[in-house]
Amino acid sequence: MDVNFRKIDIDQYDEDVLLDSELYEADPRDPAQVLDDTKQKATAVRSSLSKGDIVGALTLVLADAPYGPNVEEAKNLNLQTLVTILNSTKATEIPGVVRGLSQDTQDTLMKYLYKGMGLPGWGDVSGSVLLGWHEKLTEVAGTGCIVRAMTDRRLV
Amino acid sequence: MSNVLRPYLAAVRSTLTAALTLQDFSSQIVERHNKPEVEVGGSKEVLLQPMTISRNENERVLIEASVNSIRLSIKIKQADEIERILCHKFTRFMMQRAESFIVLRRKPVKGYDISFLITNNHTDTMLKHKIVDFIIQFMEEVDKEISEMKLSLNARARVVAESYLQAFNS
Repeated sequence: MDVNFRKIDIDQYDEDVLLDSELYEADPRDPAQVLDDTKQKATAVRSSLSKGDIVGALTLVLADAPYGPNVEEAKNLNLQTLVTILNSTKATEIPGVVRGLSQDTQDTLMKYLYKGMGLPGWGDVSGSVLLGWHEKLTEVAGTGCIVRAMTDRRLV
Repeated sequence: MSNVLRPYLAAVRSTLTAALTLQDFSSQIVERHNKPEVEVGGSKEVLLQPMTISRNENERVLIEASVNSIRLSIKIKQADEIERILCHKFTRFMMQRAESFIVLRRKPVKGYDISFLITNNHTDTMLKHKIVDFIIQFMEEVDKEISEMKLSLNARARVVAESYLQAFNS
Protein backbone atom coordinates (compact mmCIF):
# COMPACT_ATOMS: atom_id res chain seq x y z
CA MET A 1 0.00 0.00 0.00
CA ASP A 2 1.21 3.48 -0.74
CA VAL A 3 1.89 5.27 2.56
CA ASN A 4 3.29 8.49 1.12
CA PHE A 5 0.11 10.33 1.98
CA ARG A 6 1.17 10.11 5.62
CA LYS A 7 4.12 12.37 4.89
CA ILE A 8 2.00 15.21 3.55
CA ASP A 9 2.07 18.18 5.90
CA ILE A 10 -1.63 18.79 6.22
CA ASP A 11 -1.11 21.76 8.55
CA GLN A 12 0.01 23.92 5.66
CA TYR A 13 -3.50 23.75 4.20
CA ASP A 14 -5.03 24.96 7.44
CA GLU A 15 -6.81 28.28 7.00
CA ASP A 16 -5.28 29.96 10.05
CA VAL A 17 -1.73 28.79 9.24
CA LEU A 18 1.00 31.28 10.11
CA LEU A 19 2.76 32.72 7.08
CA ASP A 20 6.25 34.20 6.92
CA SER A 21 4.82 37.55 5.92
CA GLU A 22 2.73 37.73 9.09
CA LEU A 23 5.76 37.59 11.36
CA TYR A 24 6.91 41.14 10.61
CA GLU A 25 5.64 44.29 9.00
CA ALA A 26 6.58 44.45 5.34
CA ASP A 27 8.58 47.34 3.94
CA PRO A 28 6.10 49.89 2.54
CA ARG A 29 8.47 50.91 -0.28
CA ASP A 30 8.47 48.86 -3.47
CA PRO A 31 11.66 46.96 -4.47
CA ALA A 32 12.74 49.35 -7.25
CA GLN A 33 12.52 52.32 -4.93
CA VAL A 34 14.46 50.50 -2.22
CA LEU A 35 17.26 49.85 -4.71
CA ASP A 36 17.23 53.52 -5.75
CA ASP A 37 17.43 54.67 -2.13
CA THR A 38 20.29 52.27 -1.42
CA LYS A 39 22.27 53.55 -4.43
CA GLN A 40 21.78 57.14 -3.31
CA LYS A 41 22.90 56.21 0.19
CA ALA A 42 26.04 54.53 -1.20
CA THR A 43 27.11 57.79 -2.88
CA ALA A 44 26.28 59.83 0.23
CA VAL A 45 28.30 57.40 2.35
CA ARG A 46 31.30 57.75 0.04
CA SER A 47 31.28 61.51 0.40
CA SER A 48 31.04 61.43 4.20
CA LEU A 49 33.78 58.76 4.33
CA SER A 50 36.10 61.06 2.37
CA LYS A 51 35.42 63.71 5.02
CA GLY A 52 36.35 61.16 7.69
CA ASP A 53 32.90 61.16 9.31
CA ILE A 54 32.57 57.45 10.13
CA VAL A 55 29.69 57.78 12.61
CA GLY A 56 27.70 59.77 10.06
CA ALA A 57 28.44 57.26 7.30
CA LEU A 58 27.39 54.32 9.50
CA THR A 59 24.18 56.05 10.63
CA LEU A 60 23.37 56.78 7.00
CA VAL A 61 23.95 53.25 5.72
CA LEU A 62 22.14 51.57 8.62
CA ALA A 63 19.05 53.79 8.54
CA ASP A 64 16.18 52.22 6.56
CA ALA A 65 18.26 49.16 5.71
CA PRO A 66 16.52 47.03 3.06
CA TYR A 67 14.81 43.95 4.47
CA GLY A 68 12.28 41.32 3.47
CA PRO A 69 11.96 39.38 0.23
CA ASN A 70 12.48 40.64 -3.35
CA VAL A 71 15.21 43.16 -2.51
CA GLU A 72 18.30 40.92 -2.74
CA GLU A 73 20.17 43.39 -4.95
CA ALA A 74 19.65 46.29 -2.56
CA LYS A 75 20.67 44.10 0.39
CA ASN A 76 23.94 43.11 -1.28
CA LEU A 77 24.70 46.69 -2.25
CA ASN A 78 24.05 47.92 1.27
CA LEU A 79 26.28 45.19 2.71
CA GLN A 80 29.09 46.15 0.35
CA THR A 81 28.77 49.81 1.32
CA LEU A 82 28.87 48.85 4.99
CA VAL A 83 31.91 46.62 4.51
CA THR A 84 33.86 49.45 2.89
CA ILE A 85 33.16 51.58 5.97
CA LEU A 86 34.14 48.77 8.34
CA ASN A 87 37.36 48.05 6.46
CA SER A 88 38.42 51.69 6.35
CA THR A 89 38.02 52.23 10.10
CA LYS A 90 41.09 51.91 12.30
CA ALA A 91 40.84 49.37 15.12
CA THR A 92 41.52 52.02 17.76
CA GLU A 93 38.64 54.20 16.56
CA ILE A 94 35.98 51.45 16.72
CA PRO A 95 34.89 51.88 20.40
CA GLY A 96 34.31 55.61 19.96
CA VAL A 97 32.39 55.11 16.73
CA VAL A 98 30.17 52.40 18.22
CA ARG A 99 29.43 54.58 21.24
CA GLY A 100 28.28 57.37 18.95
CA LEU A 101 25.54 55.25 17.36
CA SER A 102 21.91 55.11 18.51
CA GLN A 103 20.50 51.84 19.84
CA ASP A 104 18.54 51.00 16.69
CA THR A 105 21.61 51.61 14.58
CA GLN A 106 23.68 49.36 16.85
CA ASP A 107 21.12 46.57 16.44
CA THR A 108 21.15 46.88 12.66
CA LEU A 109 24.94 46.91 12.67
CA MET A 110 24.91 43.69 14.70
CA LYS A 111 22.58 42.08 12.15
CA TYR A 112 24.93 43.04 9.35
CA LEU A 113 27.95 41.67 11.22
CA TYR A 114 26.27 38.28 11.57
CA LYS A 115 25.15 38.38 7.96
CA GLY A 116 28.69 39.12 6.85
CA MET A 117 30.05 36.21 8.87
CA GLY A 118 27.36 33.87 7.58
CA LEU A 119 28.09 34.52 3.90
CA PRO A 120 29.49 31.41 2.21
CA GLY A 121 31.63 33.13 -0.41
CA TRP A 122 33.15 35.93 1.70
CA GLY A 123 34.49 38.08 -1.11
CA ASP A 124 36.08 41.21 0.36
CA VAL A 125 34.69 40.57 3.84
CA SER A 126 37.45 39.72 6.28
CA GLY A 127 36.63 37.58 9.29
CA SER A 128 38.99 39.29 11.69
CA VAL A 129 37.57 42.74 10.88
CA LEU A 130 34.01 41.58 11.54
CA LEU A 131 35.05 39.78 14.73
CA GLY A 132 36.83 42.91 15.95
CA TRP A 133 33.74 45.02 15.36
CA HIS A 134 31.55 42.38 16.98
CA GLU A 135 33.68 42.38 20.11
CA LYS A 136 33.66 46.17 20.48
CA LEU A 137 29.95 46.40 19.75
CA THR A 138 29.15 43.74 22.36
CA GLU A 139 31.26 45.60 24.93
CA VAL A 140 29.27 48.78 24.34
CA ALA A 141 25.76 47.50 23.64
CA GLY A 142 25.78 44.29 25.72
CA THR A 143 24.16 40.92 25.02
CA GLY A 144 20.78 42.65 24.63
CA CYS A 145 21.94 43.88 21.26
CA ILE A 146 22.65 40.30 20.14
CA VAL A 147 19.26 39.13 21.41
CA ARG A 148 17.52 41.90 19.48
CA ALA A 149 19.42 41.00 16.32
CA MET A 150 18.53 37.35 16.82
CA THR A 151 14.81 37.86 17.45
CA ASP A 152 14.19 40.45 14.75
CA ARG A 153 12.52 38.85 11.75
CA ARG A 154 13.32 41.74 9.44
CA LEU A 155 16.31 40.07 7.83
CA VAL A 156 18.77 42.52 6.38
CA MET B 1 44.49 31.20 24.88
CA SER B 2 46.27 32.36 21.77
CA ASN B 3 45.69 35.91 20.70
CA VAL B 4 44.36 35.15 17.23
CA LEU B 5 41.69 32.82 18.57
CA ARG B 6 40.45 35.22 21.26
CA PRO B 7 38.03 37.46 19.27
CA TYR B 8 36.47 34.37 17.68
CA LEU B 9 35.86 32.67 21.02
CA ALA B 10 34.66 35.93 22.56
CA ALA B 11 32.07 36.27 19.79
CA VAL B 12 30.93 32.68 20.32
CA ARG B 13 30.74 33.24 24.07
CA SER B 14 28.61 36.38 23.85
CA THR B 15 26.30 34.93 21.20
CA LEU B 16 25.85 31.73 23.18
CA THR B 17 25.12 33.68 26.36
CA ALA B 18 22.53 35.71 24.48
CA ALA B 19 20.93 32.61 22.98
CA LEU B 20 20.78 30.65 26.24
CA THR B 21 17.59 32.26 27.48
CA LEU B 22 15.39 29.20 27.46
CA GLN B 23 12.07 28.37 29.06
CA ASP B 24 9.78 25.38 29.24
CA PHE B 25 7.57 25.25 26.18
CA SER B 26 5.16 22.47 25.21
CA SER B 27 4.56 21.53 21.61
CA GLN B 28 1.86 23.58 19.92
CA ILE B 29 1.17 20.85 17.40
CA VAL B 30 0.94 17.67 19.44
CA GLU B 31 -0.82 17.80 22.76
CA ARG B 32 1.12 16.65 25.87
CA HIS B 33 4.36 16.61 23.94
CA ASN B 34 7.34 18.68 24.91
CA LYS B 35 10.23 18.55 22.49
CA PRO B 36 13.12 20.78 21.45
CA GLU B 37 11.58 23.18 18.98
CA VAL B 38 14.83 23.73 17.14
CA GLU B 39 14.89 20.04 16.22
CA VAL B 40 11.22 19.69 15.34
CA GLY B 41 10.95 22.99 13.48
CA GLY B 42 7.17 22.66 13.46
CA SER B 43 6.18 26.17 14.44
CA LYS B 44 8.29 28.93 12.97
CA GLU B 45 7.19 31.67 15.37
CA VAL B 46 9.28 30.11 18.16
CA LEU B 47 12.46 29.76 16.10
CA LEU B 48 14.98 32.59 16.12
CA GLN B 49 17.35 33.62 13.37
CA PRO B 50 20.28 31.19 13.04
CA MET B 51 23.58 32.98 13.66
CA THR B 52 26.91 32.07 12.10
CA ILE B 53 30.22 33.11 13.59
CA SER B 54 33.19 32.41 11.39
CA ARG B 55 36.90 33.03 11.54
CA ASN B 56 37.51 31.85 8.01
CA GLU B 57 35.79 29.50 5.64
CA ASN B 58 36.99 26.36 7.44
CA GLU B 59 36.30 27.42 11.01
CA ARG B 60 32.81 28.45 11.92
CA VAL B 61 30.08 28.00 14.49
CA LEU B 62 26.35 27.91 13.79
CA ILE B 63 24.00 28.80 16.63
CA GLU B 64 20.34 28.07 16.06
CA ALA B 65 18.16 29.28 18.89
CA SER B 66 14.53 28.65 19.72
CA VAL B 67 12.24 29.20 22.67
CA ASN B 68 13.20 26.05 24.57
CA SER B 69 16.40 24.77 23.01
CA ILE B 70 19.47 25.84 21.12
CA ARG B 71 21.66 23.90 18.75
CA LEU B 72 25.30 24.81 18.40
CA SER B 73 27.33 23.26 15.59
CA ILE B 74 31.07 23.56 15.19
CA LYS B 75 33.15 23.15 12.08
CA ILE B 76 36.64 22.24 13.21
CA LYS B 77 39.69 23.39 11.29
CA GLN B 78 40.97 20.66 8.96
CA ALA B 79 44.00 21.66 6.95
CA ASP B 80 44.92 18.36 5.34
CA GLU B 81 43.88 14.74 4.94
CA ILE B 82 45.42 13.57 8.23
CA GLU B 83 43.61 16.25 10.20
CA ARG B 84 40.37 15.34 8.47
CA ILE B 85 40.74 11.68 9.48
CA LEU B 86 41.78 12.53 13.04
CA CYS B 87 38.91 14.97 13.43
CA HIS B 88 36.42 12.42 12.13
CA LYS B 89 37.69 9.72 14.53
CA PHE B 90 37.79 12.11 17.45
CA THR B 91 34.28 13.49 17.00
CA ARG B 92 32.93 10.01 16.33
CA PHE B 93 34.47 8.74 19.56
CA MET B 94 32.79 11.53 21.50
CA MET B 95 29.44 11.28 19.81
CA GLN B 96 29.22 7.56 20.50
CA ARG B 97 29.45 8.49 24.17
CA ALA B 98 27.05 11.39 23.88
CA GLU B 99 25.19 10.51 27.09
CA SER B 100 28.27 11.20 29.20
CA PHE B 101 28.52 14.70 27.79
CA ILE B 102 24.80 15.40 28.36
CA VAL B 103 24.56 18.34 25.94
CA LEU B 104 26.25 16.58 23.01
CA ARG B 105 24.14 15.65 19.99
CA ARG B 106 24.56 12.16 18.53
CA LYS B 107 24.86 13.40 14.98
CA PRO B 108 26.32 16.62 13.65
CA VAL B 109 24.25 19.05 11.61
CA LYS B 110 24.99 18.80 7.89
CA GLY B 111 28.11 20.72 6.94
CA TYR B 112 29.53 20.73 10.48
CA ASP B 113 31.68 18.33 12.49
CA ILE B 114 30.06 18.25 15.88
CA SER B 115 26.81 19.57 17.35
CA PHE B 116 25.50 20.34 20.81
CA LEU B 117 21.85 20.46 21.77
CA ILE B 118 21.06 22.43 24.92
CA THR B 119 17.48 22.35 26.15
CA ASN B 120 15.68 24.16 28.94
CA ASN B 121 16.14 21.06 31.13
CA HIS B 122 19.88 21.50 30.93
CA THR B 123 19.74 25.19 31.84
CA ASP B 124 17.42 24.32 34.74
CA THR B 125 19.73 21.72 36.24
CA MET B 126 23.09 23.26 35.34
CA LEU B 127 24.56 26.73 35.66
CA LYS B 128 24.29 28.69 32.46
CA HIS B 129 27.75 30.24 32.57
CA LYS B 130 29.26 26.81 33.24
CA ILE B 131 27.62 25.42 30.10
CA VAL B 132 29.04 28.32 28.11
CA ASP B 133 32.46 27.74 29.68
CA PHE B 134 32.28 24.06 28.78
CA ILE B 135 31.58 24.79 25.11
CA ILE B 136 34.31 27.42 24.90
CA GLN B 137 36.80 25.13 26.62
CA PHE B 138 35.87 22.34 24.24
CA MET B 139 36.54 24.61 21.26
CA GLU B 140 39.89 25.61 22.70
CA GLU B 141 40.94 22.04 23.44
CA VAL B 142 39.83 20.37 20.26
CA ASP B 143 42.24 22.26 18.01
CA LYS B 144 45.09 21.60 20.40
CA GLU B 145 44.15 17.93 20.72
CA ILE B 146 44.05 17.36 16.98
CA SER B 147 47.36 19.05 16.28
CA GLU B 148 48.97 17.05 19.11
CA MET B 149 47.60 13.82 17.69
CA LYS B 150 48.89 14.79 14.27
CA LEU B 151 52.39 15.37 15.65
CA SER B 152 52.51 12.05 17.48
CA LEU B 153 51.12 10.26 14.45
CA ASN B 154 53.84 11.72 12.25
CA ALA B 155 56.55 10.85 14.79
CA ARG B 156 55.29 7.28 15.00
CA ALA B 157 55.12 6.94 11.24
CA ARG B 158 58.71 8.11 10.98
CA VAL B 159 59.94 5.53 13.52
CA VAL B 160 58.02 2.75 11.79
CA ALA B 161 59.36 3.70 8.37
CA GLU B 162 62.92 3.91 9.66
CA SER B 163 62.89 0.49 11.31
CA TYR B 164 61.18 -1.05 8.30
CA LEU B 165 63.68 0.34 5.83
CA GLN B 166 66.61 -0.80 7.95
CA ALA B 167 65.98 -4.32 6.71
CA PHE B 168 67.04 -3.24 3.21
CA ASN B 169 70.04 -1.31 4.43
CA SER B 170 72.17 -4.19 5.69
